[in-house]
Amino acid sequence: MNLLRSVSSSHFADFGMDTITLAGPLEAKLAAMKAAGFSQVMLAARDIVGHPQGIDAAVAAVKASGLRVTGFQVLRDFEGLSGHLHGYKVDIAKQMVGMARALGAKVLLACSSTSQHASGDPEVIARDLRKLAMLALPHGIKVAYEALSWGRHLNEVHQAWDVVQRADFPNLGMGIDSYHILATDTALERLDEIDPSKIYLVQLADFMWQETRTAQERMETARHFRVFPGEGVHSQALAELLRRLDAMGYRGDYSFEVFNDDYQQLPLPYVAERGRASALWLAESVLKRSVPLPGQMRLRSAA
Amino acid sequence: MNRPTTALQDSREALGDLPNPLGLLGVEFIEYTTARPQTLGQSLERLGFRPVARHRSREVLLYRQGDMNVIINAHRAPEDPPLPERATIAAVAFRVRDAASAYRRVLELGAWAVPTRVEVMELNIPAIHGVGASRIYFVDRVGEFSIYDVDFVPIPTVDQHPPTVANLHLFGIVQYIGFERLADWCAFYGELFGFAELPAEQSFGVLTQGRILSSPCGTLHWQLIEPAPDAIDIDPEELLQRVAFGSPDVLSTVAQLKARGVEFVESPSGVHSGSRGALTRPSDTGPTFEFVHDPR
Repeated sequence: MNLLRSVSSSHFADFGMDTITLAGPLEAKLAAMKAAGFSQVMLAARDIVGHPQGIDAAVAAVKASGLRVTGFQVLRDFEGLSGHLHGYKVDIAKQMVGMARALGAKVLLACSSTSQHASGDPEVIARDLRKLAMLALPHGIKVAYEALSWGRHLNEVHQAWDVVQRADFPNLGMGIDSYHILATDTALERLDEIDPSKIYLVQLADFMWQETRTAQERMETARHFRVFPGEGVHSQALAELLRRLDAMGYRGDYSFEVFNDDYQQLPLPYVAERGRASALWLAESVLKRSVPLPGQMRLRSAA
Repeated sequence: MNRPTTALQDSREALGDLPNPLGLLGVEFIEYTTARPQTLGQSLERLGFRPVARHRSREVLLYRQGDMNVIINAHRAPEDPPLPERATIAAVAFRVRDAASAYRRVLELGAWAVPTRVEVMELNIPAIHGVGASRIYFVDRVGEFSIYDVDFVPIPTVDQHPPTVANLHLFGIVQYIGFERLADWCAFYGELFGFAELPAEQSFGVLTQGRILSSPCGTLHWQLIEPAPDAIDIDPEELLQRVAFGSPDVLSTVAQLKARGVEFVESPSGVHSGSRGALTRPSDTGPTFEFVHDPR
């Protein structure tokens, strides 16, 4: 690593990449991120259970990489179910918590339910999220609840915040994903309602067209056509989103969650470099974070 | 201290949303696990405990004084990791009104069930995961026909109910927690068992760090201690660190126990025995015990 790169990396230490953006085996993804100067990684369960040598080898690869684990994703469709469906999801959640713990992940991402069997009653949703947070609690894991823009009952960030507040549990907070906010065209003022200490993770991505009109279109776009911040058409809105979070006092992690079919078939160093360019733009032009003074102690954040 | 001893008899009434949702009434037993059961047994005996029974199928001994039961577990299944040399608190058993409904309730709230490994004719005591590797049991068979009558064989000729030696009763448990984990663990004990936080300025004994939770029955104190701020880069282990006993007169208790060979921490500038409390000296082989002024 040359001097220039190591200096600039102190700007963007708050940014990391999601493994889902890159193709190939886990070790190659971790190596590409490291080579691009990133110091943290957002892991997906598929990378861990799909490792040809098994879960333990995947955990060992993550530890050996030296990358800090931003979080672990994703628990789907947990809340609002009853009877055997609820029992089934509790078992799934426990498996996810177990893997997160093994990886040293402090944050488990859970996204709002898309299930037609799920209740939309905010009381029921809050009770289930409380239970999920309790399942994660002894393991030292926080649950970041995220509004999917095609969620069945809950698809905007302020709706997720409503139920998180209703649940009122110390290790239950918010996962914020710029893609969903842009896709639902949610007013950024809605973020001001959120307690910044309750934001456990911010996922960042843009996309290539101006609007997504239907839930189906939002889902398709989210799964195949995301791009890094700075590469899409909502750069202004993304920059404002970041500045707003920063002004609110959010000092936690940002990770690039870029589901993109093209990036899935391109060389890893090329894609990771695009991530690096995006992080540099956000850290230095948008947030204008100053370089930490030499020798200054950096306290750990809550997340 | 007020002991609502009637709670256990209310078995005909359904559990409602009460301040004491499980009908919790103190601790039935505390279980240590260790590869050196004799060493811990000796240190318990110096505190006035007596071995009263042996487990039917495993290397497990029951020690008792007054209404306090301590189990020393040196059993290790072949597939298990080696036992710790130094005794660690492996489990705390809560006395509750109805163990089965208490167990169902906490699972419904998100506790993790511990699969039990019961041998033939042994009791299936419901348990959940607590902090670290520890467990929390629920016991409702207290008194005449107790859990020990099934799983344990009394040691012949030994008084099954040895009196307390130095006026001791169980006061509480000290738990070490990770960074910024105070709110989490307060929620854990509050949500599942109805523990409530005492005011931050309230403290007991000579080690006054951390926050104290009080059980809904008022007989048990759970002290949560965060790591020292200068240990900031280590991801610290969370565990049940020690047992605290209450005594109406700590100095007299200390004098009696010193006469029985118990060693206390006596630091001129730091922790030393006083009327508020005392601490036994830690060693390589045994856990420490704390004593706290409590006139109960």
